This record gives sequence, structure tokens and C-alpha cells, in this order.
Amino acid sequence: MAQPPNLWNTLTDPLIRQNPVTLQILGLCSALAVTTGLATALTMSISLTVVLTLAAGVISLIRRHIPDTIRLILQIVIVASLVIVIDQVLQAYFSEISKALSVYVGLITTNCLVLGRTEAYARHHTPLPAMVDAFGNGLGYSLVLMIVGGLRELFGKGELFGFQVLPLVDQGGWFTPLSLMLLAPSAFFLLGLLVWAVRAVLPEQAEAREHTPPLSTEPAE
Amino acid sequence: MMRGLWTRETVAALLLAAYLPLAAFWLWMGGVAALGQLGLVALVIGIWHLVFMLLRAQPPSLAALVTALAIAMLAPENLGVFRLSLGVSFGVVMGELVFGGWGRNVVNPATVALAFLGFGFPTFDWPGFDAPVAWAALPAAGIGVALGVLPAALVAGAVGVGALGVAAGLLSDPVLFAAGIVLVLLVADPVASAATTVGRWINGALYGCLVILFATYWTGAAPVQVAVSAALLASLAAPLLDEAALALWIARRRRRHGRT
Repeated sequence: MAQPPNLWNTLTDPLIRQNPVTLQILGLCSALAVTTGLATALTMSISLTVVLTLAAGVISLIRRHIPDTIRLILQIVIVASLVIVIDQVLQAYFSEISKALSVYVGLITTNCLVLGRTEAYARHHTPLPAMVDAFGNGLGYSLVLMIVGGLRELFGKGELFGFQVLPLVDQGGWFTPLSLMLLAPSAFFLLGLLVWAVRAVLPEQAEAREHTPPLSTEPAE
Repeated sequence: MMRGLWTRETVAALLLAAYLPLAAFWLWMGGVAALGQLGLVALVIGIWHLVFMLLRAQPPSLAALVTALAIAMLAPENLGVFRLSLGVSFGVVMGELVFGGWGRNVVNPATVALAFLGFGFPTFDWPGFDAPVAWAALPAAGIGVALGVLPAALVAGAVGVGALGVAAGLLSDPVLFAAGIVLVLLVADPVASAATTVGRWINGALYGCLVILFATYWTGAAPVQVAVSAALLASLAAPLLDEAALALWIARRRRRHGRT
């Protein structure tokens, strides 16, 4: 390796330019499921960031001792142990939110994002850059979750973190909640629109065309 | 001939001509309120077509009026300007314009808009249809099939299953009226329906079966809601049906001739 990677870039790249959700389309299952409100989205974001950072650190520490043939099993065992710890902590101190998140904290184990970062980055780098990269990816994931969760809670219930922001019609205000926002499809739509917006600003993220259109549809005169 | 006669706009114009009886009867029964609703929806769609023409050089299409008619006729009642515009914008942009305009869309934009409005604002009532308007769907379907812009196999498949449903006593009059209008306006749309003949038969039959299923087991659903939901699922299944029809055709050719 010629030059150790710049830590600041490692941290900030995954926020937008290499965002794990909007560019690499990883970790969507949880991103769609837990974003009905900001509180659950925030809890999920923090849990995933903590698990990801610690797992990257641990795997990076023992990266020279992991046999290649069983590396996935090993990574999953490490991630799963951390997830269990987080899950227990949530159940002990935030049982309300833990119930709202149901199985999705447990499913962090199988989140492609976690396995992708440990597999692609932590296995080949020293602990510090590995953990910085994992933390950055966790923040990138959190950013998307907060945006989608915020929009869904705001337009679905008129609330942010459970506080009424837009006055509802039933309580004498003007805002009619858009109940579609609380259903799963709206998360797809919002995520799609978000990806569209990001790619409109950063056209280099757009994928290559699958088909080339014919040059001209006009027949020669 | 320098250009073919059958351009996209010809199809859109003929489609519009086929829907004229339906539109005329609906406007006659609905009066000024119906006209206002149609105007508002058409205005919103027109603005979006203009935006996409200016930003992405997509030529606007007469099919905007077809979409406007379908949404104006079937949208839930008393939504208000803001909610109606929101639903129409969502349907037209996400259902049609982002794919490159009319002719490249996967589902009918009106179906998307109606499903959005229906599931997004469940407290508003769906419209009901009187017999004259529903009967006007017959000439509309006839003209469309005769001109070749509505797929005959699809209409036949849906009517066949519908007739079986009526014979078995599974379809009540309001459901039948709504299902007929939705069949003509949304399901038989030449872009979003199946493109192979076998696929069209199955597509129509699938729509009929879904309507019967929803009408029987979906308690508390309005007739139009039943029909629109069936239309959405049927048009989502259309590419799959085409794919299956093509695979069958290729397999048969291979068996008979040893090549495709």
C-alpha cells in the first residue's frame, strides 16, 4: 500500500458520495421497515452504527488470523454477538422502542451493509481506518434513515419525534395526515425519489444504460 | 409515405375518440362539478407534461387528456384541490413521465394516481356510477376495439369472466358498472396491458377474477375501489403474462422446428 488512506475522506465519503443506501442500495429492508417515525429510525441508526463500528474494529484486529474459507461464518458470529448485546440493552432501557422495532434490531446481523463493510474493508485495513470507515457508513445509513423517517412521520402524522408540528384537522388545524406515508410503499417511493435527487446532483452515480436506443426512429425520406 | 400514419399521437387521438361517449354521458350526468374536476386534473397533468418537455425534452402527448378523464371520473369525491393535485402529480410523474412519457410507462398513470388517492386518503368516499354512464362504456369499448386501439382479446377475456361471475350471482350491479368503466378506462389501456394475444386473454381474465375475488371477500370496499385495485394488480402482472406467452411460443417453435 503506497499511501495510508486519508481518514477524513474515509469518514465523509460514505455520507453522500458513496452512500451505502442510495448508491450501493444496501440495507434496504430495515431502511424501509423502521422509518415510520423518527424515534425508531434514530434508534435503529444508532444501533447499526455501533454494531458496524465495533464489528469492523474486532474483525480488523484479527484479520490476519481469519482463515479465508470460514471468514463469513466468523464475521456473522462476531456481528451477531454484538447485535445480541445491543438488543438486550435496548430491551432493558428502551423497552417501548425495542417493541416498536420488533425483529429489525436482530436482523442487523443479516444486514448486507454490515457484512459488506466488514468483508470489503475491515478485512484489509488496520483497526483505525476500518472503524472510521464503518462509522462513516453508519452515519451515511443514519442520514438516509433520518430523512426518510422524518418525511414519513411529518406527512403521515404531522409529528416530529412525537411532537405535533403540523396542526391536524381533527384538532382544529389544517393538516390532513397522509396515511399512505405510514405504509411500506411510501418508503419505497421516498427512497426512490431520494436516489433520483442525489443522482440528479451527482450524475456520475447514475448507472450505465442497459439498452442503447436506436439512433433515429425517422425513416429516410 | 414519409412517416407512418400510426404514430403515438394517432393512437392517443383515437383512444380519446373512443372515450367520447363515456365522457359525454359522464359530463351530462355530473354537470358543472364534473367539468370543473376534469379541467383541474387536465391542468395539473398539462403542467407536468410541460415541465418534462422543458427539462427532459419529452414531447407532450394527447394521452394526457385520456389520463385526465380517467382520474376525474374515478377519483374519490370532495378531495379538495390540494389533495387531488398531489395524487395526480404523483400518478403522472411516477407512473408515466419518469419512464420517458406515454408509451414507455409500465402501469397506467391514472391507475397509480387513483391507487395513491384511495390508499392515501381512505376517509373520502369513492364515486358511484348511474346506469347511463355505465352503459356508455359499451360503445366506448366497441369503438376502441373497432379502431384497434383497445385490445379486443383483453376485453373479451374480462367480459367472459365477468359473464361467468354474473351467472354465478357473484357480481352485484354497482360492482359490475364500476368494473366495466374501469375495464375500458384503465385495464384496456394499450400501453400498460399485455402485448401478446395469449397474454391479453389472460390479462383480461385475471382482471375479471380479481374483481370477483375482491367483490366477494373484501368487506367494506367501494365498487370503484375494488375495480381500481384489481386494475392495478392486473396491469402489474401484464409484463409477466407477456413473458410467459413468449416463452411458450419459443418452446413450441423449438419443439416443432428445432429452432426459434
